[in-house]
Amino acid sequence: MAKDTCPVQSTLQYLSDRIASGVLTDPKVRRICESIRMLVEEISLGEAGDGHMAAIDDLMTEFEKRTPDDTAVKTLYFLQQVLSDHREAFISHIETRNCPSHDCGVIAPSPCQMACPAGIDVPTYLALIAEGKDDQAIAVIREDNPLPWVCGLVCTRPCEMMCVRGRIDTPISIKFLKAFAAERALSDRRYTNPNPAPPNGKRICVVGAGPGGLSCAYYLALMGYTVEVIESLPFAGGMLMVGIPRYRLPREVIDREVAMIEDLGVTFSFNTRFGTDVTYEDMKARGTDAFFLAIGAHKAWDLGIKGETDFPQVIDAITFLKNVAIGDRHAPGKHVVVIGGGNVAIDAARTSLRLGADKVTIAYRRSREQMPADIEEVEQAEEEGIAFAFLTIPTQITGSDGRITGLACIKAELIAKKGTDRLAPVPILGKEFTIQADAVISAIGQYVDDSGMKAFDAVNWTRRGTIEVNHASMETSMPGVFAAGDAVSGPATVIEAIGGGKRAAEAIHRHLNGMPQPRMPKIPVRRRKVPMIEMTAAEKMRLSRPVMPMLNVDRRRTTFQQVELGYDEAAVRKEARRCLRCDVCRRCGKCVEICRDKMGIDALHLGYLDFDHPVKTDFRLTAENCITCGACAANCENNAMTLEEKEGKRMLKLCGTILNEQEIQTCDACGARLPSAQYMAFISDKTADLTQKAEQRLLCNDCQRKLSARNHVPTRPVNPT
Amino acid sequence: MSQYYLFQDSKKCIGCHACEIQCKTNKDLPEGPKPCQIIQVGPKFINNLPKMSFIFMPCFHCENPWCVSACPTGAMQQRTSDGIVFVQKDLCVGCKTCVSACPWGAPQWNPDTGKVVKCDYCKDRVDQGLAPACVTTCTTGCLKFGKVEDMTQIRRERHAESVASLENSSF
Repeated sequence: MAKDTCPVQSTLQYLSDRIASGVLTDPKVRRICESIRMLVEEISLGEAGDGHMAAIDDLMTEFEKRTPDDTAVKTLYFLQQVLSDHREAFISHIETRNCPSHDCGVIAPSPCQMACPAGIDVPTYLALIAEGKDDQAIAVIREDNPLPWVCGLVCTRPCEMMCVRGRIDTPISIKFLKAFAAERALSDRRYTNPNPAPPNGKRICVVGAGPGGLSCAYYLALMGYTVEVIESLPFAGGMLMVGIPRYRLPREVIDREVAMIEDLGVTFSFNTRFGTDVTYEDMKARGTDAFFLAIGAHKAWDLGIKGETDFPQVIDAITFLKNVAIGDRHAPGKHVVVIGGGNVAIDAARTSLRLGADKVTIAYRRSREQMPADIEEVEQAEEEGIAFAFLTIPTQITGSDGRITGLACIKAELIAKKGTDRLAPVPILGKEFTIQADAVISAIGQYVDDSGMKAFDAVNWTRRGTIEVNHASMETSMPGVFAAGDAVSGPATVIEAIGGGKRAAEAIHRHLNGMPQPRMPKIPVRRRKVPMIEMTAAEKMRLSRPVMPMLNVDRRRTTFQQVELGYDEAAVRKEARRCLRCDVCRRCGKCVEICRDKMGIDALHLGYLDFDHPVKTDFRLTAENCITCGACAANCENNAMTLEEKEGKRMLKLCGTILNEQEIQTCDACGARLPSAQYMAFISDKTADLTQKAEQRLLCNDCQRKLSARNHVPTRPVNPT
Repeated sequence: MSQYYLFQDSKKCIGCHACEIQCKTNKDLPEGPKPCQIIQVGPKFINNLPKMSFIFMPCFHCENPWCVSACPTGAMQQRTSDGIVFVQKDLCVGCKTCVSACPWGAPQWNPDTGKVVKCDYCKDRVDQGLAPACVTTCTTGCLKFGKVEDMTQIRRERHAESVASLENSSF
């Protein structure tokens, strides 16, 4: 068996072949094999329950007791081998309803879920939100991410990047729907924690209460661990609190979700710096079994230019944002220049503006397209009146008497360099200029502050100054010490930290229970199988992504009120209905191929199925040519395309979207359901040269046979006696 | 017409359905599809006596089959060598046009495979010189399979016998 094929699928294939070929002559062996085959098939379809493995084991015992012939022995050996070597794969199919190798087509996760660093089951919670089941949606999200409201406001949304709906028009607004559901569920008091496992008496120390630490603490607490979080700041949230400004993420959002984690019994020690206020030895003496390091990347890189250390008005963005978050509400200056092109630079600039700076300029050494910041962030900054100086390399901070007067810069051009895809900015000699400034904020990146980590002497650090881990288990080189978040990845995203924290929690659990660690990161798990939402093709096409209502610009330039005001409920429900349910339709394109190439009807216009060559998609066009023959549905492996009969109509539905409906005709003799008139017309066109188009009785298959049998009763001489 | 003829001596048939079962077993079919079927006609009164017939309904393997014309994928085919009409499974996409096109209801729907199945006179067996599955199991021996020209002979002989018996009874 090749390594990259799914053992469940290959067992199913093997057993099917064995049974079909008829080599299993012993009736009892055959019966056992057929039963096992049925159970394995249910496992591969994601329909299996807890009893399936036990049932297979019972059948295997029965099989072993039987004295079988040669061919049966081969089958027995194969099954014994596969069940012992790949037992985990079978169990994971049952538990996760997920096939990592995608061989079991029906149960592969959707692209959005695969793209999410925390692996949230997006189509499932969108379907739940569409039906107004916000609390259930939050429960699904929190199986993979304990901070849905936070992520609903600030996530970089890699899911939306992969959203298949984006190939038709625009991606689903996945990010904000999460925030809406969280807010509504909290407001309804139905945002609840799952029941944690009973305490297992083991203690874990989490260093850092940022998203990584919070995520790890949450999942550990659910598994019954006693979790103690050490945090140097006076509040939980880490970069959520001191990196992200309040106009993007209100403090209440963080507080409420942290409170949920506290409710699980997680204890926090604030204003406590690990390494000075509390040491490794202290924690060990308290009986800590494992450590999780999520210390983030809070140290800013220096600009390395002249004048940087000469003026108090030169500040790094991280310190600036932290001071503002803690309560220092003074403008850094009247003319502020922010150096950098990432989200932190934008945040620092917009914060300066809100604190009263007259003019804020972002100086970036590449051009607009190369900016790492979110395009929405850049646009919002522009709306607020932030100026941008692109292709600008700062060379010196000038000033006198301890005050900055300007930032000397040089114009750059972008040159392609060998060994990298990124264009490099190169200064153009003679094109020097000065930007007027009385404060300079540097936002050119952060690194990990390792000063408190001396005790973890066996932990390896990378060349980039981050903690080296095995990315499947987040294990460091020091046994019992795990790490995730920015401390591992360097400055990255909230959702990556949350995903890392979750993986670490699972790995810590394995470590403390003597279980081996996985070699590969886990594939996201499908959490539920929720029913499709029925709607017309016209509705599916017509729905469009709502425009985010924004706070007016005057308020945005003067206050820290939340900028994105959020959709109203009607917009949220509609937006969730726009989802194409890629957890069910795997976009194999078989339906289109059959309809167009085999049937020659070409009724399905589903260009979005193709990733590389998006041609037109219009669900509404199907009704023009479709004859509801159902060949597409009969060949759909995932039951995404279905042919249903309801209220005298035959409906072709793709993931709930009604592509076509036609009236069902009935048999004149027995009333059995027959194909539609369009379907009959298709046939009579094809057989036109054989039959004259005459008024014929509409008869079902059975009645036609009966009629012809009656016509075939031979007239035979009757015996007069 | 195909070169073959599957003759049922309906006078002998007792409606035991063994042919149907043998056919389905041979083709490994689930509940539902019946490539051949015994249809009961009657009972009706003929000369004040209740009479009933069992008519064997396979596919007639027409000269110009409706099903072959109707099939959009070319799965339904007529063998040029002997005229047997059959489904090439891998081409069938399950549109069921043949089912609707056939005036005699010969093509059958197999819900397990999502494809059509029909009587092909067990062409794999015929090619090996064997009789179709249904014929081999007929309890009364009323099913006979062979070349069309041989089959007419049987019917002639049977008719002659019945005529003769009628004449005898009149004595």
